[in-house]
Amino acid sequence: MKTKIALLILFISGNLFAQEQKMTDAEIASFKQDVNVVSKKIKTLSTDFVQYKHMDFLSKDIETSGKMIFKEPNLLQWQYKKPYNYSIVFKNGKILINDEGKKSAVDIGNSKIFGRINKLIVGSVSGNMFDDKEFAISYFKSKGQNIAKFVPKDATLKKYIKQIELTFDKEEATVVQVKLLESSEDYTRIVLKNKVINAKIDDSVFTN
Amino acid sequence: MQKSTIQFLLINCFLAIVLVSCGSVTKNYTPKKLDKKTVEVPYFSEPKTDYVYKTNITVYGHEMSGIFIAKKINDTTHRVVFTTEFGNKLFDFEISDTTFKVNSIVSELDKKILINTLKEDFRLLLKKEYVIQEQFENESDNIYKSADGNRDNYLFVSKKEQKLEKLVRSSKTKEKITITFTLENDIFAKKVVILHQNIKLRIELNYFKSE
Repeated sequence: MKTKIALLILFISGNLFAQEQKMTDAEIASFKQDVNVVSKKIKTLSTDFVQYKHMDFLSKDIETSGKMIFKEPNLLQWQYKKPYNYSIVFKNGKILINDEGKKSAVDIGNSKIFGRINKLIVGSVSGNMFDDKEFAISYFKSKGQNIAKFVPKDATLKKYIKQIELTFDKEEATVVQVKLLESSEDYTRIVLKNKVINAKIDDSVFTN
Repeated sequence: MQKSTIQFLLINCFLAIVLVSCGSVTKNYTPKKLDKKTVEVPYFSEPKTDYVYKTNITVYGHEMSGIFIAKKINDTTHRVVFTTEFGNKLFDFEISDTTFKVNSIVSELDKKILINTLKEDFRLLLKKEYVIQEQFENESDNIYKSADGNRDNYLFVSKKEQKLEKLVRSSKTKEKITITFTLENDIFAKKVVILHQNIKLRIELNYFKSE
């Protein structure tokens, strides 16, 4: 019963405070500065994530989860653990994939789109995307959270990603949710939790 | 260009050999009196169910993986979407026995030959009812033949379990596509393999429960 009430309160409060307001210029400046200060300090980052794939025609979202690890300047691993094992490493211009033990590698040296995706993911998670000239950015606030919305300027990218929304915890100035909206009304929502910043992470983690 | 010409010639030679060496697809089966007029395939037919499968595609030695999603959206039509593990849509189709619509497809996959191949595969996979004209049997299965234009579909129903476990699409002389079902229960397949015999394409679907 208690849990039910707690859930109800959470649900109601979530709805009440989900109201977004546009930030003022002064708020934008201070928000950007907060995020930049924090993201400059990030040398390594590891976080659990839950990914919700929402498509309007489905009865419920497709939920997958795992762990993400990032190390400066550009080592990145996404590791899905549930309900299947699938890990993808971005490293030295290559994508290394381990799909339930089946390994493969893709050279992204020449693939602009993968290069972009890599930059996007790292930027999204660290929150350092505000200088990106490829997006038109708008800023919003709600209770306890700041939201930055990125609309691609490039027509090719726009075909696949209509908008990226990064939600930041106001106190910590770190990303707590990434939402990728596709050209239709479908989206992928990734919730980050149990974030650990600047723990020692060995390069050998980024092998697949 | 030259490469594809050589490939084309090789395929032609191969076809010629096969045509000479093969007889009818059913030569190893014994004809039998028809015991039903239709065979139902229930594995993708429940409108309430999101059919979500982790998918591996092997095409001419190249590996590709992602998530296959099928859902019955009305009496005749399925929506079929394939995404990467990250959730980006690679293609989004609407497909029925007689209609086909591409809602979206990434430019890398936007090739007519590929789309037509997938259309044929998915139509076969998602079709709910096959009308039967002839019946055969072998040791383990009752085999139902359903004509479909210049192709024939053969449905293998196991004698022991009375379940559809294999579907073969063939020309008059040669098997083209084989779909095998590994069943979770009477109405649900936990694993599906679509194997092409004339091109090097294999699609494996493994169901996963979203938590």
